[in-house]
Amino acid sequence: MAAFSSASVTPKSTVLPSLPKPHRPSSAAYLQSPPLKFNNSYKTTSSTTPPPVFCTLTEHPMTSTEEELRPDSFGRFGEFGGKYVPETLMYALSELEDAFKSLSADQEFQKELDGILKDYVGRETPLYFAERLTESYRHPNGEGPHIYLKREDLNHTGAHKINNAVGQVLLAKRLGKKRIIAETGAGQHGVATATVCARFGLECIIYMGAQDMERQALNVFRMRLLGAEVRPVHSGTATLKDATSEAIRDWVTKVESTHYILGSVAGPHPYPMMVREFHAVIGKETRKQALDKWGGKPDVLVACVGGGSNAMGLFHEFVDDKDVRLIGVEAAGFGIESGKHAATLTKGEVGVLHGAMSYLLQDEDGQIVEPHSISAGLDYPGVGPEHSFLKDIGRAEYFSVTDEEALEAFKRLSRLEGIIPALETSHALAHLEKLCPTLRDGAKVVVNCSGRGDKDVQTAIKHLKL
Amino acid sequence: MASNPSNVFLQGGKFTEFGKPITLRKLFFSNPSVLPYNYRNFGAHISCSAIVEKLSPAAGQGELDSKSLTTRYLMTQKLPGQTEKPFSSTGKFGRFGGKFVPETLITCLSILEAELTLALHDTDFQEELATELRDYVGRESPLYYAKRLTDYYKNSEGKGPEIYLKREDLVHTGAHKINNAIAQAMLAKRIGRKSIVAATGAGQHGVATAAACAKLSLECTIFMGSIDIERQSSNVLHMKNLGAQVKAVDGSFKDAMSEAIRNWVGSLETRYFLSGTAVGPHPCPTMVREFQSIIGKETRKQAKEKWGGKPDVLLACVGSGSNALGMFHEFIGDEDVRLIGIEASHSASLSRGDVGVYHGTMSYLLQDEEGQIIGPHSIGVGLEYPGVSPELSFLKESGRAEFYTITDDEALDAYERLCRLEGIIPALEACHALAYLDKLCRTLDDGTKVVVNCSGRGDKDAAAVIMRKQDRLES
Repeated sequence: MAAFSSASVTPKSTVLPSLPKPHRPSSAAYLQSPPLKFNNSYKTTSSTTPPPVFCTLTEHPMTSTEEELRPDSFGRFGEFGGKYVPETLMYALSELEDAFKSLSADQEFQKELDGILKDYVGRETPLYFAERLTESYRHPNGEGPHIYLKREDLNHTGAHKINNAVGQVLLAKRLGKKRIIAETGAGQHGVATATVCARFGLECIIYMGAQDMERQALNVFRMRLLGAEVRPVHSGTATLKDATSEAIRDWVTKVESTHYILGSVAGPHPYPMMVREFHAVIGKETRKQALDKWGGKPDVLVACVGGGSNAMGLFHEFVDDKDVRLIGVEAAGFGIESGKHAATLTKGEVGVLHGAMSYLLQDEDGQIVEPHSISAGLDYPGVGPEHSFLKDIGRAEYFSVTDEEALEAFKRLSRLEGIIPALETSHALAHLEKLCPTLRDGAKVVVNCSGRGDKDVQTAIKHLKL
Repeated sequence: MASNPSNVFLQGGKFTEFGKPITLRKLFFSNPSVLPYNYRNFGAHISCSAIVEKLSPAAGQGELDSKSLTTRYLMTQKLPGQTEKPFSSTGKFGRFGGKFVPETLITCLSILEAELTLALHDTDFQEELATELRDYVGRESPLYYAKRLTDYYKNSEGKGPEIYLKREDLVHTGAHKINNAIAQAMLAKRIGRKSIVAATGAGQHGVATAAACAKLSLECTIFMGSIDIERQSSNVLHMKNLGAQVKAVDGSFKDAMSEAIRNWVGSLETRYFLSGTAVGPHPCPTMVREFQSIIGKETRKQAKEKWGGKPDVLLACVGSGSNALGMFHEFIGDEDVRLIGIEASHSASLSRGDVGVYHGTMSYLLQDEEGQIIGPHSIGVGLEYPGVSPELSFLKESGRAEFYTITDDEALDAYERLCRLEGIIPALEACHALAYLDKLCRTLDDGTKVVVNCSGRGDKDAAAVIMRKQDRLES
């Protein structure tokens, strides 16, 4: 069954007509626990770490923008998001939602997740003051912003992807699932999924586009070494979007035994919310560390955006802090005007892809345009619905950066700080070139260093001719 | 409330702060800047929770003579039959160690020693280093309970030891080498050197040095054997990307090391030789060991937090000994902790070597009857060194530590096992330590706490493992 093709949809007004409540299977835990509201208490200056996962779902559909419930009970962020899936998957999705809600209230689960994040993944990751990078952006009069890197590259497996993989696999175990499936583009999410499946002893199947498998042969071997089965996908353009569609197809047929670990904040509700919550630990730690380091909040947060998971992980904590600027950086490939890019929020239009309504790169017929970026992780024609929402309400700003600029930033961070960033991260770092001259002296900029670049050194050397 | 070590005095045999007695535990555990490198006498084995000293005003200016140092240590737990001399400028561990170098280098090494001592005394340096280790390197690395590996080694009654992994694979650059590289690079900068020269075998030390130099804006030249450059091409690319110059030397690591030292001797005032291994003339073995000892210190603290006690067995792979010493050194004085080092079977200096002098130090090494060095081999390239640290030689001879060997095939099996069971891809070097669990676990009581030093990650070895697997399938 093909994934839904997108259609150009004119944006509706933000107030939705009230819809009848969807049928929910009765669940004792669900009925007994009160709707969980967003809890602000941990924003005070206590040194205790908040629990890793919060569930912000409430019972009430979104009625006004002041409420800003993200998402509402239908899984919508404004008009974006939702659950555009075949009937067979509706039960699985609401089961997932219920499980997630009950687990975020479960102290045992929180403790277990906390322990794994600490001992297995290696959290908390440092907030590192990049001294030489800061100096390079200083004006001649000695003024300039202070640049901090959130070191997600130090996580186990070398990217932020593991935060979500660990949370979801624990969830899957609670649900009694024995089989895990996932899609992957660059291979990082595949490796993270294979890693956690090995750790917890679950069967693991990864869908990967045949073209991607050729480009990322080493990651394919790593996945196989970790005990996962890697299935090539030959349909369509044999890249990430086709792998995602194939994974969804698999899930539809084996829904009782299988859990689908989606790698990003895209897909049908509750995935955007769940993946965001599992990554939100990034933002929570940043808040605590910022308080420790300079006694305040960051002024600007910068992150690269492919599907949007690392950006949401950093931003989510600070969305309600209006004095914190949120900046997402997408891949402009060969340039926005060239047509070979992955700048969904800049050049895309609203449509439905992989179960959610969001911005995406489509032609006049509503067919998906093949994106391009030197970094495989940003090579996704869609974007998470929450990012589309944040862009529309003006809470977050989105820019794009070309392959060349990203490669320059890759080289710059390696030479100045001795940290080799992933090419995906390099896009966020490249944006500093345009951003820093506009900031006041002493502004605190936190860049999410979402992964390490060991996997990209070959590509970079080829292009940079070192 | 954290205590500032500079406020702590020794009065009447007890440590006091502002006149009130202070427990060392409170001082040690509450002040993170004390954690990396307490000053300690090179040569006396002092339990880690013992010493932080206030410098007497007279010695505060600079030079510390050995007499004032020897009168300073208060709680010493000597090994039975220990012949190790207290701190002296020869750097001996029993009969091992020393400074077998040409005259030109002697002064240079003494200066280095003095600088090192000063740096370790300086709380500012300690604090800066602690910050770098925390924010740049990503310490402290977790002590991870490997449940599936533990279950795998349980016997038919469900009894067996508990296996913990010290996750040095999670630190920046993916191996323990950075602990030493960043500290020495900071020391070099402090002394005023602008250019670093180093030698690397597997490339990990090269990458760590290049990263530290990039961060501290020091010029960096790495010497690497041409055989190694071919085998470890990805690490070579890393070094180049980080801005280091990589110079090829005919041969392997031992030749690269000789060339690097030659290069250093040529311009002693401007260059700093950053040794990655715990070998070489004094103070190199001691310096590298001090900087790597953060591993053991953290392990002690984490073991206390996790199970309220100490580890029973420590297991680490031994090439030249830096990661092993980093883990062991903290526990040398604890008689009830077993120290086990694992070498590669074709590079087993301690198990199969004889005593001799190599690269400036007396230690066990692989030599033929004429005293010529035998080229070692291992699938774990980082273990391929014909010598070993003098301190480990001393520990072997005094019987404090045990050393065994593991073959290439056993290491490869351990690589795959950890991948499948725990989702951690270990470095082939660390696999040697993991492989020994096969033989060790059967002999241990139920509930024994075994800590294995997972000294690096194995992404760099994936290509080599693929090739070996194909060879094995074909044969």
